[in-house]
Amino acid sequence: MAETVARALGRAGNPGRSGHALSIRSARDLFVARERLAELFGARDSSRFVFTGNATEALNQAIKGILRPGDHAVTTSVEHNSVMRPLRRMEEAGVTVTVVPAGPDGAVDAKAVAAAIRRRTRLVAVVHASNVTGAIQPARQILRAARKAGAYLLLDAAQTAGSVPLSLSDLPVDLLAAPGHKGLLGPQGTGFLYVREGVPVVPLIEGGTGSRSESDRQPDFFPDALESGTPNSVGIAGLGVSLAWLLRKGIGAVRRKERELLEELVEGMGRIGNVTVYGPRDPSRRASVISFLVDGMDPAEVGRRLEKEFGVLVRSGLHCSPDSHRTIGTFPEGTVRVSPGPFTTGKEIARFLAALRKIAASRR
Amino acid sequence: MGRTAPPEVVLIFRGTHQVMSAEKNLKRAGVPMRLIPVPRRLTSDCGLAIRISHPDRDLARKVLSRARIIPRSVHILLDQEEYEEVPF
Ligand SMILES: Cc1ncc(COP(=O)(O)O)c(C=O)c1O
Repeated sequence: MAETVARALGRAGNPGRSGHALSIRSARDLFVARERLAELFGARDSSRFVFTGNATEALNQAIKGILRPGDHAVTTSVEHNSVMRPLRRMEEAGVTVTVVPAGPDGAVDAKAVAAAIRRRTRLVAVVHASNVTGAIQPARQILRAARKAGAYLLLDAAQTAGSVPLSLSDLPVDLLAAPGHKGLLGPQGTGFLYVREGVPVVPLIEGGTGSRSESDRQPDFFPDALESGTPNSVGIAGLGVSLAWLLRKGIGAVRRKERELLEELVEGMGRIGNVTVYGPRDPSRRASVISFLVDGMDPAEVGRRLEKEFGVLVRSGLHCSPDSHRTIGTFPEGTVRVSPGPFTTGKEIARFLAALRKIAASRR
Repeated sequence: MGRTAPPEVVLIFRGTHQVMSAEKNLKRAGVPMRLIPVPRRLTSDCGLAIRISHPDRDLARKVLSRARIIPRSVHILLDQEEYEEVPF
């Protein structure tokens, strides 16, 4: 992937702005990556995948492109700030927002979401799996409730894209946002928003698209409608390579491997007396994320010692999701988070558990 | 009168993605085609167009219709720089 990015940097033509060879090459890189996204997520029409700089941009586009003054939106208490902050901004523009509280394991009850939907509800925005607790939300039941009420469902797949199977033909959500740089294994500066056909999203950014230049109106067809300005074709070329790898490997296989590691982690951590593990017990309801605390120890200190003494990199704190921590009772210190990936080995898990045992023992 | 069938047909699409998608579908169906810079004479600007030869027009229409990629316009090359717009 890194080699492809380097090669693409060396030639970087502006895609779709010209007929010369470098421009064609970049246009093809974008096209190929889009086609692979469509294949990976079981969508028929790849033009509905709009590239963004990250998941945050995709979520802002979805939320601000759908909601209008007078609309009502439903969300949960375990959303990332990249969902909550745009929603709070829209409140200032005359949108009302209902936040459905999640349970202590970070999972929301689909019935509670359904009950929060009203006549004026236009958008239901839900994280597919929490980046704090890992809890996978009941997206299918929530989609059913949203559909019944004529509301659009936006799924934030930042923690699941590339690591938990998700097929748009099976789960036809209206809007799907994800970064390229997490489970999709691509470079930073990439992400996407999928918009189902017929879902009316107003562009957040308008400008040059290389199409319809004779008109001063933004094109209404995809992906151009939501993709203005020179794209990150270099990063997207790299994303295309990691998507090919995921397609070969299969997200099901990634998920199976990560689940095994998760089970080892949860079991191993459960055996350390003064370590508290958050999130669903059932590994099938958890994405590849575990939040934990060593009783009586600052999470930042645990993180620092894991890195300094044992070379294990984790993230401590609030994880840009203060409401999630309020939900599970770990605000404002936050938690320590471990997230095994497709390249994590059983040996690394064992090393992590040994390190955590030592740190926890120093506290007793 | 007695003009022979013009040899080249240029397909113009709405955007670059649609050109790429048309290319993929035509190639897969074995329709000979070339990506070309949009001829100056033809108003559009995504930079790229597709050129096929006249006898392949029917097959191309079938392939693209099935893939739901409808050209924005279709032009027949009459001679050097002269094009005639025709229905898809
Ligand atoms: C659940 C969730 N949503 C959104 C984001 C934002 O992603 P990005 O950093 O690509 O904008 C993250 C990133 O941590 C996340 O975990």
